[in-house]
Formats: sequence, C-alpha cells, structure tokens
Amino acid sequence: MSFLKKLQGIAKQDYNSYLEKAQANGQKIIGYFCSYIPEEIFHAAGFIPYRIRAVGSQGTSKGDIYFSSLNCTFVRHTFDKMLRGKFDFLDGIVFMNGCDHTRRLYDNWRYSEIAPDKYKYMFFAPHVISPSSEEKMADEIKLLIESLEKNFKVQISPATLKKSISLYNQKRDLLTKLYDLRKNKDIPLKGSEVLAIMLAVVILPVEITINFLQDILEEVKGRKVNKDNDLRIFLTSGCCEEVEHLELIEESGSIIVNDNICLGAKNFDTLVDESLDPIVALAQRYINHLSCPRMMNDVKGRLDNLYKIKEDYKIEAIIAEKLKFCDLWGGELFIYRQEAKKNKFPLLVLERELYGGATGQLKTRIQAFFEKVKNNQTIGDNFIRTSGDNYQFSSK
Amino acid sequence: MKEKSLKPFILLKVAINRLKLLYFFLFFPRLTYTLFYLFRPFYEPKENFLNRTFRYGILTFGGGLTPFKEMKAMQAGAKALFENMEEAIKAKKMNKPVAWVEWILNAEILEAFDIVSFNPELLNLFGNAKGIEYPPLVIAEAEKKGVPVETCSAVKCTVGSILLEQIPHPDIIIGASHPCDSSISIYQQLEYLTGSPTFSFDSPYWKDDASYKYFEKNTWDLIDFLEKNLNQRMDWDKLKEVLERTNKVNFYLQEICEMNRAIPCPGTMISLLYAWVIKEVCVRSPLAVPMAKGLYEVTKSRFDKGEGVVKKEKIRVLKWFPPIGFFTYLFKWMEHKFGAVVVADFIGHVSTIQMDTSSKKSMIRDLAKAQMHIAMARQCHGPVEFLTDELGKLIDDYSPDCVMFMGHNGCKHGWAALKIIQDFLKRKKMPTLYLNLDIMDKRHTNEEGIKKQITEFFVSHGWA
Repeated sequence: MSFLKKLQGIAKQDYNSYLEKAQANGQKIIGYFCSYIPEEIFHAAGFIPYRIRAVGSQGTSKGDIYFSSLNCTFVRHTFDKMLRGKFDFLDGIVFMNGCDHTRRLYDNWRYSEIAPDKYKYMFFAPHVISPSSEEKMADEIKLLIESLEKNFKVQISPATLKKSISLYNQKRDLLTKLYDLRKNKDIPLKGSEVLAIMLAVVILPVEITINFLQDILEEVKGRKVNKDNDLRIFLTSGCCEEVEHLELIEESGSIIVNDNICLGAKNFDTLVDESLDPIVALAQRYINHLSCPRMMNDVKGRLDNLYKIKEDYKIEAIIAEKLKFCDLWGGELFIYRQEAKKNKFPLLVLERELYGGATGQLKTRIQAFFEKVKNNQTIGDNFIRTSGDNYQFSSK
Repeated sequence: MKEKSLKPFILLKVAINRLKLLYFFLFFPRLTYTLFYLFRPFYEPKENFLNRTFRYGILTFGGGLTPFKEMKAMQAGAKALFENMEEAIKAKKMNKPVAWVEWILNAEILEAFDIVSFNPELLNLFGNAKGIEYPPLVIAEAEKKGVPVETCSAVKCTVGSILLEQIPHPDIIIGASHPCDSSISIYQQLEYLTGSPTFSFDSPYWKDDASYKYFEKNTWDLIDFLEKNLNQRMDWDKLKEVLERTNKVNFYLQEICEMNRAIPCPGTMISLLYAWVIKEVCVRSPLAVPMAKGLYEVTKSRFDKGEGVVKKEKIRVLKWFPPIGFFTYLFKWMEHKFGAVVVADFIGHVSTIQMDTSSKKSMIRDLAKAQMHIAMARQCHGPVEFLTDELGKLIDDYSPDCVMFMGHNGCKHGWAALKIIQDFLKRKKMPTLYLNLDIMDKRHTNEEGIKKQITEFFVSHGWA
C-alpha cells in the first residue's frame, strides 16, 4: 500500500496502530483542540499530542443534549463522540478558548462527568498579537508545563523542549515542502489528499509523521493529478475536515492548491526559532503564525497572506466557507466579500454544516461558480458570487 | 419591511431632540408625571403612526408609572446623553477626534485626553426614539452587506449604523475580546470598514491575579496607543477626577442593588439599567453622579419606609442575560400589570471595586480590574461558573420567586451553557421562563410575543 493511501486510511479513524503501540509502551496520549496549543509541550513530556476531530461522527443527538442548535456542528459532533466514548483512550484533554462554542466544551466536559478522573486543562490563548500577548502566552505555556509535570509526575526540561521543537520544525518544514509542490503547473497532490494527510498527521506521533511525509514527498515525484483546465483554488474556512467535501470541489473542475483552514496551513506556517529560549520561542511562534479570525488585530496579516498565496500559487478563484453559527468566520467572510468587490477576484462564499450533507446543493453551486469563472476568464469579466443572493458583482 | 432611506445622523438627531424635550419637561417633574400618566391610553398599548416618535422614550422613562422624584433624577442622565451625542456629531467641526468605545468597556481613560468618546452601539437603544422599526432597519443594512444573520444584533447594529452614516466616523476604535465572538468579529469588520486605528483589549479567561495583571498591561498598552495615535499626552489629574466620579456612581448603584434585596423591593430595575447606559456611554460627564445619587435617594427613602416600588409586590423576578433593547418598558409593564418586580438582573446588577486613585499605578491597576467587573465582561469571559455562581448568589440574596432567561439569539456561549444553567435552576427549584428572542431586533419576537409568553408563565404558576 502506498504511503499516501496509508495516511488516508489513518485519517478516517479515531485510533490507529501507532497509538496502540505507543500506549502499549506506556506512552500517554493527550487530546487538544486548536492550532494555538503548542504540541511540543506534550511531546517534551513524553506524550503524544492528539488533535480532536469530528471524523467518523455518528451524529449529534447526544451532543445536542448539552449544546443548542445555535451552536456549531463541530462542537456538537465532537462532544457527541466524547459522550459515546470515542476518545476514551485519551489520557487527558487540553481545552482552549478558541471560540465561544469550543470554550464551552471545557464546561460541558466537566459538567457531564464523562471522565471525571481524567486529566483536563483549560489553556488560555490570547486574542491579539502584541508583545504583551506574547508574554502572556509564555506565562500560559509555563502554567501548562507545571500542570502536566504535577499531574503526570514528569519533567519537561528546556533541553527536551528544544528537541521537541526541532522535531516539530522538521514536520513543519516537510509540510511546507508538500504545500509548495502545488505551486507548480503540474500538481502532484490534490487538496483533498492533503487534507487527509493533515487529518492523519495531527493524530500520529511526530516521529512517524516525519517518516511518512518524507516518503510521500518521494512517492509523489512526477505525479500529476490535475487537468490543464482545472481552476486553481484557494480554500479558506474554519473547521473543514471532510475529505469528501474537498473531493466534491475538485471533481467539479478544480484543484485546491492552498488553504487557510483549521487543519491546514496555519498548523505549519512559521517555524519556532530554535535559537531562543524555548518557551519564549514557542510563545512567539504560536501567537504570530498565520492567524485565525479569533485574533482580533490581524485582518491585514490574513489579507496579506491571501494576496501572497494568490500570487505564488496563481490562484484563479477563492472558496470561502463557514460553519453555521460561527461568528468568527462569519465576520471574516464579510471582509472577504468587501475585498473581492474592491479587488475584483472571483469568490464563492458557502455556509454549511460539518458532516451536514447537502452535497447536491453544494455541487450545483460550486459547478455554477466554476462555469462562470471559466466563462468570464474567456470574456474578461470579474465577479463574486456569495452563498445567498444578496449581491453579485460584475464589471468589465 | 419596506425599504426606507435615512438622512445622515437622523436617528441620533431624533434621539437628541427627544432627550432634550424630556430634559426640559423634567424641570416640571410633577407636571410631566401627570401628563405621562393621563396620556397613557394614547401611547401605551402599542406603537402607531401618531405616537411612533415619542412612545419608546416615554415608556423607557416609565410611561407615567415612575414617580416624579425618580424621573427628576433621570434628568441629569438625559442631559449627559444628549450632550455626548451632540458633541460626537459636532466633533469634526470642533476639530476633535472621535473615539469609538465598545459597550462593555468604560470610557474613563478617554477623559484624560482631549477627545470625544462615543459608544457606536448606541442606536440599538436610541434608534428606537424615531420608532421601533429603525434599529432592525439598521441591522438589516449590515445583513444586506454580508454580516451573518446569526451575529449578535447588538454589535451588528454598529456596522449598519456606519454604512448608513448614522454615527460619526471614528478616528480611533477601542474594542475588546469580551463578551463574545460577535464582538471579536464585528470590531475587526469595523476596523476594516473605517480604516481607523483600532485597539483591542484582550480579555483573559480567568479572574486571578495573573489575569488582572494581563488586563492591566492591556490598559497600559491602550495609553501608549492613545498617546501615539492622538499625539497627546495623558492628563493624569483628569483621569483621577473621572475615576473618583466613577467610584461615586458605582457606590450609589451598588447601594441600590443592596437595597433591592429587601422585601418588598424598593427599586425598579429600569432605573439601574438606565444608570448602566449612562455609565457606559458617558460616565465622563459630571452629571452621572447627581443622577446616581438621585436614584439612590429615591430608593433609600422607600427602603427606609419599608415601601416597595409597587404597592403590592406579588412576584419577585430575577432576570438573567441582557435586557430587551426595544422593550425597555418590560419592567414597568410587569410591575403595573402583575405586581412583578425585577429584583436583580444580569446587566443592572453592579458588582465592582472602588478604585484607588492615590497613584498612577493604582489607578490603572484598579481601572483594569473594574473593567473586568462590568456587567457582561464579568460573567461572559470565562468558565460557566462565572455565570452560575453569580446567578446562584443572586437567587440566595434576592429571594426571587422565578427566573426569566433572556435567550438572546446571538449569544452562542450562552446557548452552549444552557443545559448547565437549566439544570442549575432546577436544582435551585426556580420556576424559569426561557424566552427565545433577539434583544435588539423585534423581527424575531416582538413586544406582543414577549408579553404573551410572560403572561402565560405567570398564569401557569398561579401568580396572575
């Protein structure tokens, strides 16, 4: 079986043989939620960081007991999985104030007493990028370290932390190389395949991940998955973890060449500075990496990133998505809409539910969008189409 | 709704005119009270084209049910409000910078600069002065331009207000990461739309020393930001002056809250909410102190006599989550119709510290701490216990018969904690009405719908 296929298989599962083997050897697995939590700390403690995903969810019926229908489907699915015991193999969970929905996972987890004796921790990540927030992040990292040391009777020394940082930087470097491959005209990996890789590597030991990524980079050499007339797409969204959804986009006549999604580029953007004190370096990297709209003072940074990617990856159209009831991405898409009008780039805005189906509707909308982009490329028009029919901009 | 066009600043100007009119009338409080009372049948039942431009204002001031002494106390607040609004509209002519400050932040620090502070969310309430369909019109404008329907209307109104040129363009913006994601999101949109330099307070998760220190650091960062962007130096004497005023306002309001524990309850919640608005919008004004003192004296007089705000108190209500902007008359309506008194509320309840003004350091330290104790900032930024602990304490202290939970659509973290809150109230054996509404947008559940649900709730419990 190819390495890519292997990772695609792992992506679909909650548990895998690597975790099983590690646990058999006494290694602990700590669940976490967001790209603002430094994985290196868990690794330096001798644990495996495990990104909690909604993959394989059977629905939200149990999650809905605790969360309302006005909460996003990511938390409802993941909490449903928690209640069904899908994460029982974890030795603890580190929650985070990612957004109003996810921060209440910490409250509902404690309240529902799913696993009262299991290690739980609330990590505070600042909402702004500033020297003060970097300092605060460093303090929070220290608190997390102290908590892990106390609870699991382990030692996280600066030396082990440095080693972990180095390994995670290797992983980031390899993922950057993987993404860079898609700058070319001939693209060796589809966006849907990259998402599967990301879904897998966030639940694998980093050492295994590095091996896999090296192998995949070799494996895909000379491979070409795109057709010449496929549109080159930038996908931006909050939580987006359905490989099938990306396949749907790509099967409709496109190739996703870059992204800013929770499980995408922001996971490896910006290396940790190995020359600095490890805690300071981690704080700097995790505050300053490609931001999510939860960071209040970085609209410009995200837009600059968008235009750089657009240039570097020769993006022809942008698909921007949000999950229903996500205020953070709702605001981001408002800005995208204004920006698309101002700078005249084709934009499709979609609002959807995680594992919400509606593939027929989505397919129609995506196909219509692509058709129009391709037609307009011929006649030199620019336009925007949004999820509603609130406006459509067209000008020569 | 039929599309209407709005002249620039028209909603603000109407609000100013109505507040001025009221201010004038309140020089004759007995006469005003009598007129309000006598004309009740004309305006109280519902809004129509004849009473549209003054019904909301009169009802907010009690609709002839608020004793004239209390109304007189509100006079100073009305002046503080229209002075601030006028100053904001005229700021450009006066060559003064305008600073937008979000609802859940006090504007004290701006007193130390030569600047006009303005609360951009004002039209949620004061837009109703022209008729209660206007705030939804402003909200709809934001939605039309792509702001999601589910974003909290309280902040969405600001986007609509700037798009429709209803509020002055800011020279700087001060936002915060509390109380919710809607605020985080909208203030980024406002920065983008206006292009104005924006400072974002970052609210910590916990309420411990480290968190207070972080917020204090944020406050020092704000001073740097203001000095740099305004090219002015901080006037510490002025800050001291305003903080001392804030201390006095907080003292009086906290005393009212304490007295409201008495049975019968001597205070009406609308007065505390009105005071909260003045405090948030223009605590800088020296008029905030006489207003708070006046309200305190009225409540104290009733408290000393053992009188309640209603002659016969039948139901004591604890109202939880933000109040309804377009239906501020709710309190007086419940008092009048059912003898139901709101004894404590999410926003009107003042629970803060007295700030030490003896040094620069102590002022900033305590101002930061006080900011974290403003209503909504206090309860919404951390774990669910910040909600349930205060709720439980109010139930224990204020002897309510029931709770009314304002299930505001935009409040996602509230909905995510609803099961915990519901179970908590069950354990406290509190009959609870869970209203499903949008606090600023009557298109979701209107005044009639709210009245109907409350009436049914009281009837079903045998209280009415």
